[in-house]
Amino acid sequence: MFTATLRVPKRGNTERECEDAGRVRSADGTVLAAVADGASESLLAGEWATLLTDSLLDSASDVLRDAESFAAGLAVAGLAWQAWLDDYVVGREAAGRPIAWYEQPKLDRGPHATVLAARFGAGRWEAAALGDSCLFQVRDGRLVCAFPLDQANAFDNAPPLFNAFNRDTVLLARHVRIAAGTTEPGDGFFLCTDAVAEWFLRENARGGRPWRVLRGFAGDLEGFAGWLDAVREEGLMRNDDVTVVHVDLG
Amino acid sequence: MTYSAEISRANPSCFVFLVDQSASMNDPIGGGGQRKAEVVADAINRLLAELSVKCAKEEGVRDYFHVAVLGYGHTVGSAFTGPLAGRDLVPLSQVADQPARVEKRVKKVPDGAGGLVETTTSFPVWVDPVANGATPMCHALARADALVGDWVARHPDCFPPIVLNLTDGESTDGDPATAAWAVQTHVTADGAALLFNLHVSAANAVPVTFPDTDVALPDPYARTLFGMSSLLPQHMRFYALQQGVPAGDMARGFVYNADITSVVQFLDIGTRATELR
Repeated sequence: MFTATLRVPKRGNTERECEDAGRVRSADGTVLAAVADGASESLLAGEWATLLTDSLLDSASDVLRDAESFAAGLAVAGLAWQAWLDDYVVGREAAGRPIAWYEQPKLDRGPHATVLAARFGAGRWEAAALGDSCLFQVRDGRLVCAFPLDQANAFDNAPPLFNAFNRDTVLLARHVRIAAGTTEPGDGFFLCTDAVAEWFLRENARGGRPWRVLRGFAGDLEGFAGWLDAVREEGLMRNDDVTVVHVDLG
Repeated sequence: MTYSAEISRANPSCFVFLVDQSASMNDPIGGGGQRKAEVVADAINRLLAELSVKCAKEEGVRDYFHVAVLGYGHTVGSAFTGPLAGRDLVPLSQVADQPARVEKRVKKVPDGAGGLVETTTSFPVWVDPVANGATPMCHALARADALVGDWVARHPDCFPPIVLNLTDGESTDGDPATAAWAVQTHVTADGAALLFNLHVSAANAVPVTFPDTDVALPDPYARTLFGMSSLLPQHMRFYALQQGVPAGDMARGFVYNADITSVVQFLDIGTRATELR
């Protein structure tokens, strides 16, 4: 079993400004992984993406059982956000930098993000997603599952997003997509935020083997960042924050 | 010519607002008691506020745009009041941090139970209502032309500059069509500069938003401004349609006695923060 998380900000932004999050956790022979992509128009989008992935991976509940369970897990993360935000506002006041007039409308509205979580273990995988972060399963040199999107032209700049203040679990469940399948030794899984997912599907559609490229980095963040610079420069990938969580079942 | 260039701090675009401050702006707008000068000042202040909020991040407002506000009436020049008085193109972060004042205004919002409740919001002010002198629209467009030309020379790959003219349409220094055309001849790798017009009129006529013909417009001034206005790029028509405004293939960036702040929502700075339905 091999796992790695690669996370790089969009060109022109600092690492601190990256609004993607990715995390992987192993427990009792099971691997849990999640990625989230904070919306550029939101305030504190990166902090929200991080809290969202943490909340889902650390949940005591089985958030991947079905769409309703995932929606309930999202709502729990939303409650945690409210507490985090209260502390943040107090901290800004204490630092002599109170919330500015132009920040308040976005704070009131709440941050938005796409999110994807998955579990791998005992011959089976399960995943749930809201938005356009994608999971790819590769077996025997072939893409056998792309979830929830399977076409590069399905991406746009208005994907379904989870707002931290949304407590309507019925509405959320309606937008949640779930998937499951079997695992075999040698399977590779890639959880990707939208820009790299779009590239992955386009490369696959034209007969390429994008998983070979991603697998080749084996957790080498510097090499990955250098490769991203090149593909962005060539116009092969949109300039956006990029996160890949790679789970190789070995 | 795709109007799809990334708008970023490394590749910013610019906005030039032209505000008619002539004596005729003292007249009330059609169908209401508010003076035209107050209507356009309110519109400019809301546009600047919306643009600032759109580009706000936790560390401050990002300089995705540089902004000029030029007034034209007894003179042509910067219409900023307060700390930015006298300046032309200003990085958006400085605009956001330096309004002349921040007023508290009461507005009604849904109470969640089908009714409305009053709440207080911050209303930053950069431009005050002014109504004095003639309407040198050609001169103002020439100033915009110079600012846009210089900007495009320094940012040849940027999302094309947008010039937004707010006026009652009665130019007193000649036919503004030629000067309007000149503004739109400045081209970046992503397309030609855009000129949009908001016409505030004393006539009590039906408001019009992004029309594709001048047939329904009530007077020659409106038809002139319509003819000066750029076609809305495809993605802007798409966003207008999303907002329930039926913008056709030939829709122009022209609004008659109606709200134009939606223009800010036509700008793409990354993933849109939209709610699930």
